[in-house]
Amino acid sequence: MKNLKLASRMITGRTIVTVGDVKIGRGLVVIAGPCSVESEEQTIETARAVKDAGADMLRGGAFKPRTSPYSFQGMGLGGLKILARAREETGLPIVTEVIDPRDVSWVAEFADVLQIGTRNMQNFSLLKEVGQTGRPVLLKRGMYSTLEEWLNCAEYILSEGNPNVILCERGIRTFEKYTRNTLDLSAVPAIKELTHLPIIIDPTHSTGRLSLIGSMSMAAVAAGTDGLIIEVHCNPQEALCDADQALTPENFSGLMRRLRPLKSFLERESAATHVEDWSAARCDNET
Amino acid sequence: MKLEEIRNKIDKIDRELLVLLQERMGLALRSKKFKKAVTDPLREEALLNRVERLNLDLIERSFTRQLLKTIIDESKRLQEKDHRLVAFQGEHGAYGDVAARNLVPDGAFIPCMEFADVFRGVEEGYLDLGVVPVENSLEGAVTQVNDLLTTTTLKVIGEAHIPVKHCLLATEATNYRDIRLVYSHPQALAQCRGFLMRNKLEPYPYYDTAGAAKMLARDNPRAAAAIASCLCAELYDLEIIKEGIEDGPSNSTRFLLLSREPYDGLGDKTSVIFATPHKAGQLFKVLSLFAEADINLTRIASMPLRSDPGNYSFFLDLEGSDQDEKISQVLKQMKELTISFKRLGSYPADTLAA
Repeated sequence: MKNLKLASRMITGRTIVTVGDVKIGRGLVVIAGPCSVESEEQTIETARAVKDAGADMLRGGAFKPRTSPYSFQGMGLGGLKILARAREETGLPIVTEVIDPRDVSWVAEFADVLQIGTRNMQNFSLLKEVGQTGRPVLLKRGMYSTLEEWLNCAEYILSEGNPNVILCERGIRTFEKYTRNTLDLSAVPAIKELTHLPIIIDPTHSTGRLSLIGSMSMAAVAAGTDGLIIEVHCNPQEALCDADQALTPENFSGLMRRLRPLKSFLERESAATHVEDWSAARCDNET
Repeated sequence: MKLEEIRNKIDKIDRELLVLLQERMGLALRSKKFKKAVTDPLREEALLNRVERLNLDLIERSFTRQLLKTIIDESKRLQEKDHRLVAFQGEHGAYGDVAARNLVPDGAFIPCMEFADVFRGVEEGYLDLGVVPVENSLEGAVTQVNDLLTTTTLKVIGEAHIPVKHCLLATEATNYRDIRLVYSHPQALAQCRGFLMRNKLEPYPYYDTAGAAKMLARDNPRAAAAIASCLCAELYDLEIIKEGIEDGPSNSTRFLLLSREPYDGLGDKTSVIFATPHKAGQLFKVLSLFAEADINLTRIASMPLRSDPGNYSFFLDLEGSDQDEKISQVLKQMKELTISFKRLGSYPADTLAA
């Protein structure tokens, strides 16, 4: 990890990424919304619902990196305009993915946070381009990547002069087939040992199963995640992608009612018992 | 040419036909001011005969006649409707047009080349109302207009603060990724400099914001966009790539509505122009009248007098109507202290103003 001149924890105190009134790296930040922007109606309806449930930011894809070229590729610029309208309606900052270096400046005109998807984690020209915008970047972990490779990608963005990097664990490929990927929750404390950057968890794409999203969200909060990014669709059955893993607004709202109290309980406990920073006592002598 | 290309050209021609037709209707409405009756059979016959002499092999004479007859009928129908002709400076879609539509929603909006054309047209009765900008929140006074206000016989009967919200516009066929050149008025380009730099776009000065939009729709130059009002997108069938691309905090322009007759209600804002003799404390004496009467001033501006270099005219806006007893008294006292004094009128204030 010696190449991590900027991402390494040695450098500074913990980074807090500020997006409007939202501070990622302090408390629990929840980003929710549809996989992709399909229409103005669907996007705004979902945005209102997640806002009411207590979400801090809105996610939604206008440019979709799909496995097949024949799948829905996203609404493009039209989708960005809809997201901007949803922000006007709800006040929620917008997180959206950018997949093409030619689009970076344009997406940055509309979005508050630029997302780099798992398939593009090592697209170095794209990383340099988002590094130059100065907009906060949500960098997802490549599904085949080690933590070191991931942090080197964060280093690309930081070295362009953009300090606002948020890491996002979204599951890695293992031999297990029941879940879509395997959510590597150990990444949360590990990343906090290795870097000052905030980390959030994506329980939707990692599990790919509706029934597991709630439990893994709770587990992520217990592990100390700085936030969650969760897919919610106002009408999941009609979603143009990822229909079988989006929560309904009701499910999401129910989950939020459990997440916030868990977070405050943990914060209260750690304040009361002065839990030591375990990273200082790495157990080298364990067998 | 492939089908798609052919259809694109056809769409472009349709757009141009409609923009030209709009221009023709505007001229027809203006012609009414010079005619005794809407219908002029001799003129109609001459017009139809002249185009029939044109020999266009794909357009049959019977069709031409039918088409022109339809246009003439529609133009007569419009003239019967008694629209008030509201003049503004610039092309259709200019911010003056936006202000005119805001101030006189049911008017017919007539573009003029120069501010002087707006004043003269209304003064001479060829146009009913005029809409002119007096002041911009970032750039300050519009000197040409203020200069014309000092000599005009027209009255101010309304005002509007119009937010200047620049949009990046392009034709539907233009992909935003291909845009390299952006046409607009130098002032609009300067107000969007940050946006242009971030997206590596090259500014290209043009005589007018709306004129740039119009040119885009007509010529469809490659890799080009324009900065103009959202209204231009509707008027010239252009796509809004992004709204509100100006760098600074929102900027707005104050427009005045001018008429030959004063406002027929009470009004709650009054505008006057005056000049004082070159004596110590004269301006102070004038201003102290308002302070003593507890009348709030909303604008004080000065401008060199063209006719008398070294002397200045002062523009004053105050809260209240000149029919109000207290204000009327103050204005009377003020007149005695000045060497020139002119009432522009009392009118309803734009309450949406900041």
